Amino acid sequence: MRKITEALKTELDQVPAGRLSPELLRMRGYAAHEKDTPYRRRAYGLAALFTSYEPFIYQNDLIVGSIRPLYMVSNESEAAEAKKWMEIHKERNFHTNADHFAADYMTAARIGIPGLLEHIDRSAANGQHSEDELDYLSSMKITLLAFRELLLSYARKAGELIGTEGYDTERLRMIQDNCTAIAWNAPQTFAQGLQLVWLIHTCFVSEGKGAMALGRIDQFLYSLYESDIACGRLTDDGAQELLANVFAKIGESKYRDGTYDVINICIGGTTPDGKCAINPLSYCVLHAVDEVHLPGQNLSARVPEDAPDEFLDECLKVIGTGLGYPALMNDSVNMAALRRYGYEEEDVRDYCMVGCIENFITGKQPAWSDGRFDPIMFLEDVLCKTPTEELDAIPSMDAFMERYKERLAWGVDKYTEWFSRASAVADPKMCTSPFMSCFCDCCIERGKDINMGGAKYPSTHGAVLMGIGTVSDSLAAIEQVVFTDHKAKLSDITAAINANFEGFETLHELVKAAPKYGNNNDFVDKYAVWYTGYLADLFDRKRTYDGGPYYIAMAANVTNIYAGKDLKATPDGRLAGQPLSDAASPTYGKDERGVTATLLSVSKPDYTRCACGTVVNQKFSPSVFQDGKRQKLRQLIRIYFSRGGQEIQINSTSREVLMDASAHPEKYPTLVVRVSGFSALYVILPKEVQNDILSRTQHEAV
Amino acid sequence: MTLFVSSVQRFSVGDGPGIRTTVFLKGCNLHCPWCHNPENIDARPQTLTYRATGKTVLYGKETEIGQLVEELAEDTDFYRADGGGVTVSGGEPMLHPESVAELAAALGKRGIPLLVDTAGCVPWQSFEKLDGLIQMYYFDVKTADEDLCRDVIGGDLQLIKSNLQRLVARGDCVHARIPLIPGFNLSQDSFSKMAELMAAAGIRHVDLLPFHRLGAAKYEALGREYAYKEMLPPDRAAVEKAREFFGKTFETAVEW
Repeated sequence: MRKITEALKTELDQVPAGRLSPELLRMRGYAAHEKDTPYRRRAYGLAALFTSYEPFIYQNDLIVGSIRPLYMVSNESEAAEAKKWMEIHKERNFHTNADHFAADYMTAARIGIPGLLEHIDRSAANGQHSEDELDYLSSMKITLLAFRELLLSYARKAGELIGTEGYDTERLRMIQDNCTAIAWNAPQTFAQGLQLVWLIHTCFVSEGKGAMALGRIDQFLYSLYESDIACGRLTDDGAQELLANVFAKIGESKYRDGTYDVINICIGGTTPDGKCAINPLSYCVLHAVDEVHLPGQNLSARVPEDAPDEFLDECLKVIGTGLGYPALMNDSVNMAALRRYGYEEEDVRDYCMVGCIENFITGKQPAWSDGRFDPIMFLEDVLCKTPTEELDAIPSMDAFMERYKERLAWGVDKYTEWFSRASAVADPKMCTSPFMSCFCDCCIERGKDINMGGAKYPSTHGAVLMGIGTVSDSLAAIEQVVFTDHKAKLSDITAAINANFEGFETLHELVKAAPKYGNNNDFVDKYAVWYTGYLADLFDRKRTYDGGPYYIAMAANVTNIYAGKDLKATPDGRLAGQPLSDAASPTYGKDERGVTATLLSVSKPDYTRCACGTVVNQKFSPSVFQDGKRQKLRQLIRIYFSRGGQEIQINSTSREVLMDASAHPEKYPTLVVRVSGFSALYVILPKEVQNDILSRTQHEAV
Repeated sequence: MTLFVSSVQRFSVGDGPGIRTTVFLKGCNLHCPWCHNPENIDARPQTLTYRATGKTVLYGKETEIGQLVEELAEDTDFYRADGGGVTVSGGEPMLHPESVAELAAALGKRGIPLLVDTAGCVPWQSFEKLDGLIQMYYFDVKTADEDLCRDVIGGDLQLIKSNLQRLVARGDCVHARIPLIPGFNLSQDSFSKMAELMAAAGIRHVDLLPFHRLGAAKYEALGREYAYKEMLPPDRAAVEKAREFFGKTFETAVEW
């Protein structure tokens, strides 16, 4: 890590007092424009938010944009006044498409603030708009003008700080010049483009929005990068330094509650004309993320089929440091999944991710929304709510599946009804997003808010399906024990799960011995294939409140733990309260035949039905990331992707993980030690031998 | 024909080129005191219970070769890249030359290459049975000292040497594998003698395998005393020194 990045991280470690209070500034705008239209009043709220604080510049800033000044301590009357206004101009939430958005930074970087303002003026003057639309356009313009003021106040602040101890004059001059330049012109350099994008992002964050993706930064800044490189104004190292300076500031998000925001950054993928989009800037972004080495910068690598080996290799090197990023995305599967929804091909190719992995048509759809759909609950319903005689009269596995399918269809109806209702806010005019709408395609042309028909495409909702492993294993256990071996009746299964298998030890052993997902065994894998296809079919028939699609995802990495807490035992032998299988992975520790078998299983479902995205987690010991071994990992990923795998999130078992495995062996039943000619699980090793591995790992990390 | 398989490890990255599955077989005719796979010495099946997890594992499941090939062939796609395939290790797989030949032939029919990991202390006739069937041999060179070979590991150095020479002369691809064992062969004198032996045999590739005691838990589960329990792995500097020395004559890699 270079010195300036390290020094900036140290500055960022100082937590400000108070709490993030954008409403205290917003209300000033609301109050001052009480008599104006709701759209414009809403915009003046944002304008007040952008312009009534003193900008903050870190000593080690190269690119500015900080929410530090918005941490404030309020007095009671201010808080009461703010609360009153918050009742009038309500904020959207995750279910009502508030945030988790990837802005159209491509257009912003190309035409800048002046271009966007001109765009608004031209739209307003075209004679095609209603009063309402003209009113909305003027509200968008208010926010952009306020944003320009913010740029100018950063420029002023940089000028004022010249000569202050701890600040570097040259850097402050650069900040001053860049902010002034982009207030009045489209960005002309890479640094200006990055400055513009980061300050727009900072404004979103200052509004209280979370998981606002930076998106395809290696694409929308590429032409500026290219021209800077061509004229010798920039080097790759210089670009990386600027990017690291920006990514480090994602660390400000932890001030709120100690956890990091999830800012998705996307590299690679496909160009609008269908070619491999990996470029030299992709590598600068990758290395900048590595340099900053903090969570929160959620790096996703779109890996097209013709991605060069070098790209995957560099990604694996970064993953091998223990950072866990980038997540590797199979570009062709994701694009095939999105194509099903009729997006224009260029828009499909320009997708990125918001939040953890959610596929998003960049800058062309309302902000994201999702929820958790738990198919296990409905399996429990079939087993526990069907009268015993009726249950035992079910003649075959097929007949049992019909029952389950019916129940799932009912569940999907309920789920989508609830979300379609919850996503439609009562009075959308009062909670518009005029600033965000400036960066969403078609809002300016149509004179409409992003959530009121302005976005090119309607909203999408991601139904995050829980427990593919638990469901598949449970169905396989029922088929094996009840319908193949006839060793138990369905009602025995019901009684056993009701009793948490207490008193049903023999049956517990039988269901545990049935085939498990993740071992390349079609007897059980067929249920994972079915699960994906059937639930995709059900959700395909549904529409969000504004006519958009319901996507499906398998990406629950933490909620599988909470969901498991509320559920009874399951027919696969899982006990009550234990976690469900995570994301798209097999049940933890049940994929016992090695990683290739796991990947053969998990590449069986048709992920082109999972437009939202999936996550498959895999851990490897650090030795696999060494020169000479890493290419085997790369091949493993290539083959997995060629078989239709959608995503793989690889972790290097860092020292911390190994130490945890030593302390809690039960959590790491399948952690393999890979040494030539030797085969053993990590957790069986005596402590002192585990220490040998730890010291070896430490060595490798250096 | 059957084999007594003690374990099958997929995505083995240290047992040959490309992505491989390693099949560990039961039975060995040597008794190297540092052995990291002691569960594979006895040819008979054994059940071990590990203290740390309470888990019981059967080593030495008698497996039909046809069935084994089916299992190994699941990863065919993965093997295709970079010359991957199956490695047969142990134990001493060359104690079962007929079965290994049948395995190699069956895998060969499916285009899956087989690598044999051997200590080479078997009659030459055993290698004759595998003529033309093997992608590569990993041939252990543990010592070049006849007395040490006989007294410490129970091997016949003359037989090992002659097998190594004949294999190379026959045109097989042979990589020598030197386990770097503190107190046994980790000395300049011992390195020089091993280098001489390998050069005389026409060896060009050498892999160095630094000692580790990861097998300790297996000894405990077997109820056996592990002579190398307290022995620390060689440090980086010692391994680097060995790499430098062998690197002068051979293409040398360290398998950590």
